[in-house]
Amino acid sequence: MSGAPIRPNGPQYSRLLVYAALAIGVTTVGILCRRTWPGAALHAILVGAVGDSRSGHLYAISESLVSACPLLLTGLGVVVAWRAGMFSIGAEGQLLMGALAAIATAGLARNMPGPVLTLLMILAGSAAGAGWSALAGWLRVRRGVPEVISTIMLNYVALYLVGLLVEGPLQESGQLAQTAPVPAAAMFARLLPASWTGGVPARLHSGVLLALLAAAACYVYLYITPEGLRLRVLGSNPEAARTAGFAVDRIRVRAMALSGALCGLAGAIELAGVAGRLYPEFSPGWGYSAIPVALIGGLHPIGTALSALFFGGLAAGCGNLERMTGVSAVLINVIQAAAVLAVIGVRAWRNRSAGAETV
Amino acid sequence: MAVGISNLLQSSAATATPLLLAALGENVVQRAGIVNVGMEGMMLVGAFFAVVGARHSATHLTGNPYAGVVLAVVAAMLLAALFALFVLKLTANQVVIGVVLNLLALGLTGTLYRALFGVTGAFLASTTAALPAYPWLLGQDLLPLLALLGVPAVGLFLFRTRAGLELRACGEHPAAAEAAGVNVLGVRALALLFGGAMSGLAGAFLSIGENHTFVDNMSAGRGFIALAIVTSGRWTPWGCLGMAALFGLAQALQFLFQAQGLHVSYQLFVALPYVVTLLVLTSGGRWTPWGCLGMAAMFGTAQALRFVLQAQGLHISSQLFVAVPCVVTLFVLTSGGRWAAAPAALGQPYRRS
Amino acid sequence: MEEPSGASAPRIEMRRIVKRYGPTLALDGMDFDAAPGEIHALLGENGAGKSTLMRVLAGLVRPDSGEIALDGRPVGIGSPTDARVLGIAMVHQHFTLVPAFTVLENLALSAGRDPMRSIPVRLAAEAAIERARELGWTLDGNARVGSLSVGSQQRVEIVKALATEAETLIFDEPTAVLAPPEVEELFAVLRRLRDGGRTVVLIAHKLAEILAVADRVTVLRLGSSVASIRTSDTTAEQLASWMVGAAPPAHPAADATPSPRPAVDACGSADPRDLLVVRGLCVAGDRDELRLQGVDFQVSGGDIFGIGGVDGNGQSELAEALVGLRPAAAGTVLWRGEPLLRGRGISIGYIPQDRRRSGLALDMTIEENLILSAIEDPVNRRGPFLNRRALRELAAGLASRFDVRAGSLDLAGSSLSGGNQQKVVVARELHAQPDLVVAVNPTRGLDIAATRFVHEQLLAARDRGAAVVLISTDLDEISALCARAAILSFGRLQPFQVGHVSAADLGLLLGGIATRRGAI
Repeated sequence: MSGAPIRPNGPQYSRLLVYAALAIGVTTVGILCRRTWPGAALHAILVGAVGDSRSGHLYAISESLVSACPLLLTGLGVVVAWRAGMFSIGAEGQLLMGALAAIATAGLARNMPGPVLTLLMILAGSAAGAGWSALAGWLRVRRGVPEVISTIMLNYVALYLVGLLVEGPLQESGQLAQTAPVPAAAMFARLLPASWTGGVPARLHSGVLLALLAAAACYVYLYITPEGLRLRVLGSNPEAARTAGFAVDRIRVRAMALSGALCGLAGAIELAGVAGRLYPEFSPGWGYSAIPVALIGGLHPIGTALSALFFGGLAAGCGNLERMTGVSAVLINVIQAAAVLAVIGVRAWRNRSAGAETV
Repeated sequence: MAVGISNLLQSSAATATPLLLAALGENVVQRAGIVNVGMEGMMLVGAFFAVVGARHSATHLTGNPYAGVVLAVVAAMLLAALFALFVLKLTANQVVIGVVLNLLALGLTGTLYRALFGVTGAFLASTTAALPAYPWLLGQDLLPLLALLGVPAVGLFLFRTRAGLELRACGEHPAAAEAAGVNVLGVRALALLFGGAMSGLAGAFLSIGENHTFVDNMSAGRGFIALAIVTSGRWTPWGCLGMAALFGLAQALQFLFQAQGLHVSYQLFVALPYVVTLLVLTSGGRWTPWGCLGMAAMFGTAQALRFVLQAQGLHISSQLFVAVPCVVTLFVLTSGGRWAAAPAALGQPYRRS
Repeated sequence: MEEPSGASAPRIEMRRIVKRYGPTLALDGMDFDAAPGEIHALLGENGAGKSTLMRVLAGLVRPDSGEIALDGRPVGIGSPTDARVLGIAMVHQHFTLVPAFTVLENLALSAGRDPMRSIPVRLAAEAAIERARELGWTLDGNARVGSLSVGSQQRVEIVKALATEAETLIFDEPTAVLAPPEVEELFAVLRRLRDGGRTVVLIAHKLAEILAVADRVTVLRLGSSVASIRTSDTTAEQLASWMVGAAPPAHPAADATPSPRPAVDACGSADPRDLLVVRGLCVAGDRDELRLQGVDFQVSGGDIFGIGGVDGNGQSELAEALVGLRPAAAGTVLWRGEPLLRGRGISIGYIPQDRRRSGLALDMTIEENLILSAIEDPVNRRGPFLNRRALRELAAGLASRFDVRAGSLDLAGSSLSGGNQQKVVVARELHAQPDLVVAVNPTRGLDIAATRFVHEQLLAARDRGAAVVLISTDLDEISALCARAAILSFGRLQPFQVGHVSAADLGLLLGGIATRRGAI
């Protein structure tokens, strides 16, 4: 029996605060490497994340939210899959397939009215991601292929497929390796008029709202539906699920499909909200960052939302840091990694007596 | 044509070496029962610190570039030690820690790169930061030779020594190993350190061996390809050699085609390792290590044949020479068989009772 | 070679060995002697302490107190390596062989830590091959252990032990996995070992085998030794009665409810009131060996049918076959005349053997564990969603009705004590008043209060008219609750009369010998 009583279903807010503090600590160390005074650098991050009284808050917050959006959706994808006991690493590939399907839809259905096209794009993106992920799920259930390996393989196949198509059939005529843009009418609306952000157009788009809705929907699914309960039992103890008569294989594939749908949605929303076109380096690794985001969020939809907001702010902040002081924004990966390691370390320390595996 | 083949061999060797080095390391690690997804990060760290070491040696010490190799190995082993600490001591999930260490390596190398060298993007190191190449090695440095020698060495160790037997027992049935007096956690830790060292070597080859530079995210997924190689090579060093040769050849072919003015999308070649692994996994196919070598040889012969025919004035579609070996490969892969070769306890955490 | 007489100095002496596991006293000041050149059997029911005592001797378990002496010298055995150095080797019931390795590789692995680490595998295994030859076995060194029959695997396991030059060999239920001809071969080996001067300790519960092969037998009961005697000086009946102690009296609760059938008709003819009818049930275990070989019984509504027997005779396979988690190789399980299918016109409450492994999701909240089976009920749903409030109330009600002691229902299942965890399982499975209840060792590891509680719940289910199958290794429990019962051994059921059976007969049944009076 472990020490403090555990409450499994709460998002564990206090823990997030601890991690924020840790992240700040690691950032400081990273900045010290560069021999820059950490105070100025931290200030730059903060300004980048939430703005200040001088330049206003809206632009920075908009940037933070925009950065958080793909992290949130892919993070939710990780939550759904991992809660079912499927260690999918495929968020990146599913995101790309979603973006691919969305741009293909945009190409095929150019003449549709804007909002209809948007809807078609996100549906196509979700379906593509779902299918890509369900493939790995099927391979696991039918052929015993470990999803850890198959999803990584599929990530790279997706990456190269995107590269192939973008430089081939989907390429916009011209020299650049990119597709034709999504029709402006189908792009997600910008939410903040330029006048509010001092003349600089903010990138906050309505797709972000969709992402927040998805977090809520995820919570409802996992905690307020019978399928969600069964999914969580399967992830917690597959033997107990089997004994209780659950359709274990079906639940696994369904969880992978849902996970993929969320990641595909992420790709479609990024395409229709921010990027407007598909090109080979579309994702800076959102799918991989999704894992620390989800873990720090305690594999809980609401926790993941908060975690994504935090890391989105951090990403925006680090972007500002790079502009102001030259310290690389790549630092954020170190922060994510260190935060997760700290989580695990702390949890392992507390569970020293118990025998269970700590995630 | 002779020049073409020689170039083909050279570029195949250059492509295959880091893959083979990392795969040999991961082969040992997986035979001990651990899935190390963090090889990518260890390779990256190796690549970066190889440059750091070589530069430092050139500017402050004797100028021996092998200092870079040593530093690369040490750095990668430190990362591997971190992995061992979290997975073996704190019983964290292997996959999580692997993925996290990849991110850590990515951020660390990127940050330190800019901090130490003050530039962004690629930079061209002076020749003192490169490993010496030997003409008798086809213009390669020592690392490819090391990789080739590593194949029989690892094979001998795993299958002919008692220590190798104990290591394999840890991966098949750790309880039985423990009952026989083997320190399972200790063996796994050592295996991880070895895997880290090999990944470090692979990274060193990438930066100061082959490319004489360091770029962001230099490993570019090669760590995952190594994972694919171990799986599709059926956890034997000869299988790793065969698959690494296959993938190296495939990548090299792409350059050759480009040089010939043929436009076959390079993505097809680059994606080959991943598709092949998926097919192998799906079919659960029985796959002998010699089959892998045979497959690589078949690809090579097909290309050589094409050159010969071209020289004779016969123009047969080049796609055919790629397609036929591919089809044969697929056929072999999808013929059924038992998924017998994976170490039985792979990926399962072990706790001393 | 010494004569196995009582006058020779004992090779092994264990004195006043005590071992506790939490609240359970596994060994209660146990004494044990074994002489050189002797086959010594350890007889007892589940929980008597036979395995624990031998694990102490083999260095797998540290006793809380007591002394061990080897050939007159006091020794401490802290690990299997210590035991090996002292010449003690154990052949386990669950083999420690690596299935993917060949025989040679397995033998080489356990050939001991050798300073020369790169000895080729063949050399290291040669000693073991020699041993096998001595016993008249030819082992195919290159065969993969995983593809060998269970009997052959056991031979490898035995050779492994012999290769350590052990003078004392402990065999843990070796005949459990063997077919009759293989049992004879094994006995020949044991005799050969004994004639070579070795001490062979045999942990067993099958009386006929013990009488056939052992020189001496020590009977254990509840952690202490109740008798130690030469097999030539005793009989099966006497051993049986020592093993069981006094026959447990019929509990008033079992008598108070009028049994719907006459006392003699325990397992015999079918009755139209029977709900559950099992005929000729054959079920395979995980290694494809046939665990149940033609099981027949029936249970009517308002009846608790008890199935006793020593662990490892197919109890969990039987339970899983009854609830539909394991396919039957042959035979039928009928409910009201139709093949039993979970969820189709029948509600089943299943209390599995291992609550931590199959009963609960320990990471999830207590509430979630309680309502797990209730989510199917439309009452607890609002369209596609769960009615959280209704489920909350249900959980709270269950927790209070079934006396689950927990600080809050939002805590994780792992925070409950073992007894309370079992109460959660019982609450979840029984509250919806299922038609069929299958319970496997439901009170294992529970204290008296929790045990009594579970018993009351089972009786309440019976009184409601459910058919209850209670599978338990605890004969007292079966006697307390069941009017009709049988012993599961050798894959078949041997019925007996609760409250009207002698200790001797009960012991015989447990020991695998059908009673003289035949199937009652």
